[in-house]
Amino acid sequence: MTAMQEREEIAAKLLAFIRNSFLAGDPQGELTGDTPLLALGILNSLNTATLIAYTQEEFGVKVPLHDVSPENFKSVDSLSSMVHERRSTADA
Amino acid sequence: MDFDPSPEQRQRAASIRTAAGGLPRPERGTPAGRDLWEAAGKIGVTGLCLPADCGGGGLGALDTALALEAFRAGGADTGHSFGIAAHLLACGTVLAEHAHEPVRAELLRGLAAGTTIAANAMTEDEAGSDLSRLATTAVADGDSYVLNGVKSFVSNGPLADVVVTYAVTSPEAGYLGLSVFAVRTGSPGFRAGPALDKAGLAGCAAARVEFAGCRVPRSHLIGSEGQGSAIFQGSMAWERACLPAIYLGAMQEQLDQCLAHCRQRRQFGRRIGDFQAVAHRLATMRRRLESSRLLLYRACWLIDRDSPGAGEAVALAKVAVTEAAIANGVDAARLSGAQGYLAGAGVGSHLQDAVPLHIFSGTTDIQQEIIARGMGL
Ligand SMILES: Cc1cc2nc3c(=O)[nH]c(=O)nc-3n(C[C@H](O)[C@H](O)[C@H](O)COP(=O)(O)OP(=O)(O)OC[C@H]3O[C@@H](n4cnc5c(N)ncnc54)[C@H](O)[C@@H]3O)c2cc1C
Repeated sequence: MTAMQEREEIAAKLLAFIRNSFLAGDPQGELTGDTPLLALGILNSLNTATLIAYTQEEFGVKVPLHDVSPENFKSVDSLSSMVHERRSTADA
Repeated sequence: MDFDPSPEQRQRAASIRTAAGGLPRPERGTPAGRDLWEAAGKIGVTGLCLPADCGGGGLGALDTALALEAFRAGGADTGHSFGIAAHLLACGTVLAEHAHEPVRAELLRGLAAGTTIAANAMTEDEAGSDLSRLATTAVADGDSYVLNGVKSFVSNGPLADVVVTYAVTSPEAGYLGLSVFAVRTGSPGFRAGPALDKAGLAGCAAARVEFAGCRVPRSHLIGSEGQGSAIFQGSMAWERACLPAIYLGAMQEQLDQCLAHCRQRRQFGRRIGDFQAVAHRLATMRRRLESSRLLLYRACWLIDRDSPGAGEAVALAKVAVTEAAIANGVDAARLSGAQGYLAGAGVGSHLQDAVPLHIFSGTTDIQQEIIARGMGL
């Protein structure tokens, strides 16, 4: 699998998780990779903790304090890039 | 699996318990003053989990919980124990792990000694459980930040020397746009209001706290900009896990008192403890205490191992201690009869001190939500 495919697979899983867990399934299909999760308030304290727990378990990466930043959690795209990067460094 | 405290843990708990018994208590209905804080500092309680190089005990979460339980069980006032726990767990852990030198060492030495009192300021009128509603702002200006806003419920607020304060630095980043500052209470623009008239925990005064153009040096930013939420969650894991240990100590004291009363009080020509209804009530009180104690020890043990399951374990433990302390408080009132209903008997204050367990450090509903989400719901 290429790096691009891997990132897309991570993003698809994250999108599905956020739709089902925080957006009641997102019936209008509004969530996309660049939807601003923080600015729209989709990530509040409970949802952020839930998303971190899911990310750690599903992708086998640790999300230490310095990674819990607005840059990484801005959107599904930025979060997928972070997860992909952490997995690549863990594999190397 | 080993459920027994080590000889070292036993010895530490025993000496704290004995020392706590010798401490004066605040007058009924009044907060502990500086003399009591310094006395607690002398026996090491105000620095339990703070780094040893700053005069602290360097203890992990489980050892800290055991020590706080012993402090309260030895006879320390619940409100004062609560204030010390908030100072240590919501403030000391934050400064120890994230503040920059030399501010870190300077403040921590005072915190450990009990000569510098710390308070934690997150909650606002419109931001309780939902921290993304925070309105207090911090704007960088030259070598400082300028803080504006009001915090609505700050334990230790009227007495504090330093307030660990959360403020919005990047509004567009929502919940992750918070930063945290160590604000010295002598700073211009800082004002702590009068002590709030609370229903319990009288030994710990709380206040509203106001920042009106309050200038804080950049060196007092804790961690970096935008890390406030993550730092807060780390401190809450410690506070949620270890602070309820003081209620284990309080429940133990209460159970011992109830047992003594039920052995001595006679009705219908018998000790009331001989009635099965009374004996079973005491058995239930003991079961609630011991089962919540085990959950709390396990949660602390998981924190010490940096386990991914710690968050849920902490939530389970906090809910269990909350329900146990309140139910035991009601049962103690029933067992004590009319004499126990008198204000000076202390039975009612156990209950009044226990009720806010449902609210502080994340409400019971929020803990239930964490547990439910942990099961994939
Ligand atoms: C004794 C005491 C000491 C305190 N000390 C401090 C301190 O030192 N520093 C500080 O910053 N704060 C402190 N607090 C404040 C405390 O952190 C807040 O009270 C707490 O976070 C709850 O916020 P709230 O009171 O605004 O209640 P709200 O958040 O308004 O909650 C009201 C009710 O709604 C429920 N609720 C809210 N959201 C949800 C949800 N998503 N799901 C289900 N139910 C929900 C709650 O469980 C609760 O029952 C203290 C409080 C007490 C009682």
